[in-house]
Amino acid sequence: MNNKLKVLRAMRNWSQAELADRLDVSRQAVNAIETGKYDPSLPLAFKLARLFEMPIEEIFDDGHQGNDDD
Amino acid sequence: MTETRNMKRRMSPRRKRYWTALGLAGVFGGVLGAWMQSAQSGDPTIGLALLGNSALPANFAIGASIVWIVGMTISLILYHRSIDDHEERAYLWAGTAAWYALTLAAPTWWVLHRASLAPAPDVMLLFLGALAVNAAVWLWLKYR
Repeated sequence: MNNKLKVLRAMRNWSQAELADRLDVSRQAVNAIETGKYDPSLPLAFKLARLFEMPIEEIFDDGHQGNDDD
Repeated sequence: MTETRNMKRRMSPRRKRYWTALGLAGVFGGVLGAWMQSAQSGDPTIGLALLGNSALPANFAIGASIVWIVGMTISLILYHRSIDDHEERAYLWAGTAAWYALTLAAPTWWVLHRASLAPAPDVMLLFLGALAVNAAVWLWLKYR
């Protein structure tokens, strides 16, 4: 899953360690999410959304366009 | 560079619990290893006691069993209360891989031994093999 975490972090001039501290996770977890090797759990995704003050779908992109009504 | 980046990284309560758990596990393991080695030091044929099959003193066996069970329980509770979900996933997959390694190796070795095609299964070798698989998968998933 693609995400904008690295860009959002860079905009705030935070290191991976600083972001990890703000999320109370390890630096390796931040790195794994940024590089797309790991998709965070829903609670961690919500934590990221609250931290960056934006909806989850603006941070993460699953590559699916439109709604799933059909 | 931000001010916070210049400051020494403060250890969060989660990280303190994490390193306490790992430290405790290391201390328990070190104590057991040293105790086991010293308990067998009278036998000059003994190399690394952990890999030997010679008889152990009863007081050591009882003490080591208690230290292992109590120490591992405390360390694992602390560990699981402190890990984030990235590490939890690494832990779960590492455990699964270790279980598969044991599931493949133990019955195979046992059935070959029953047909006199292999020596008797060695519990410690099986345990260490599963532990090695566990460690390799955990390290790969956490630090790749």
